Amino acid sequence: MDQRKPEYFKPALMAGAVAGILSGLPLIGNANCLCCLWIVGGAAVAVRLLAKETPSALTSGDGAIVGALTGIVAAVVNSLVSIPLRSFNLGLAQKFMDWASEMGGEMPAGLDGLFQSAAGPISPGWFLLGLFLTSALYAVFGALGGIVGISLFVKKPGRAVPPPPPPAIPPATPPGPSDAA
Amino acid sequence: MSADEVRRIVRTVWLVTAAGTAVWLALIVLAPWLAGRGSTGAARLIYAVFSPVCHQIPGRCFLFHGQPLAVCGRCLGIYAGFAAGLVLYRFVRGFGRPALPSARAFLLVTLPMAVDGLAGVLGLWKSPIGVRAATGFVWGTILPFFFIGGVSDALAKGKERRAARNLSNGPGKT
Repeated sequence: MDQRKPEYFKPALMAGAVAGILSGLPLIGNANCLCCLWIVGGAAVAVRLLAKETPSALTSGDGAIVGALTGIVAAVVNSLVSIPLRSFNLGLAQKFMDWASEMGGEMPAGLDGLFQSAAGPISPGWFLLGLFLTSALYAVFGALGGIVGISLFVKKPGRAVPPPPPPAIPPATPPGPSDAA
Repeated sequence: MSADEVRRIVRTVWLVTAAGTAVWLALIVLAPWLAGRGSTGAARLIYAVFSPVCHQIPGRCFLFHGQPLAVCGRCLGIYAGFAAGLVLYRFVRGFGRPALPSARAFLLVTLPMAVDGLAGVLGLWKSPIGVRAATGFVWGTILPFFFIGGVSDALAKGKERRAARNLSNGPGKT
């Protein structure tokens, strides 16, 4: 059995970067509201990429590792993409909450305060705390997506086919004198 | 790796996951409870923690103490289903060598939530919160069977690789 470690990082980087960008974009990023769809989907895609590059059979553990890495990469990319789009996203979220409030929904107490505090400049400490929390969350959801991806995209190894038996007929030409020496 | 070692790893992963799920569910309920008591600062922090994973539209959330939960009805169903799946896992699979559910089983339990969600997005119908929670619950129950199996396998593989490395860098090789 091939015990070599699969190359997790490249597929995680590729799929994580795409998932992170999509998560950071206004409106499109809202798909994450359905159980981190971009992250879970990105992790499943990373498994598919890994399966293409790995000759040995992948296991659910490989899916968990590449999925968790994809989630962490996506969290970092998402945080970076969100910085320039922050004011736009906050405005959009405020409009959305106003709409939800008009539709008769009960808003959580203090949500206005949350928007006001978020509208100011973000400190490096809060940015790092947010990045850490998002990374942890996305790593868990990514691991889940990677494991499900193994179940969906990777074929289970079948029974090894035994090699054909050697030919029973001896070679037609007998060994020459040079071979006997 | 021996069956006992595998059993120990699976049991540890199960326990840590169960503890994490309990904390996660408690936080979902804690946010509106704190908000209802006027502790808006702490409540805001918890609502913010859940904001990357849920839209938190108040009209689609169950209320507690007059305040919406930290996640919508469907997400609550998924997490509650995950907790129920963890309990089921203990009795269905035990702590032996884990195996993943089939892709067919996964697609089957995804179908009700996918149909309900897609119909909602397309405007074909608007399902009540109870239906959203129920379809999420069904989907959530299968997830621990993937999660426990995969994470246990990753840990077991890591342990095997470390053991192999230690063997190759044995006491004779400095």
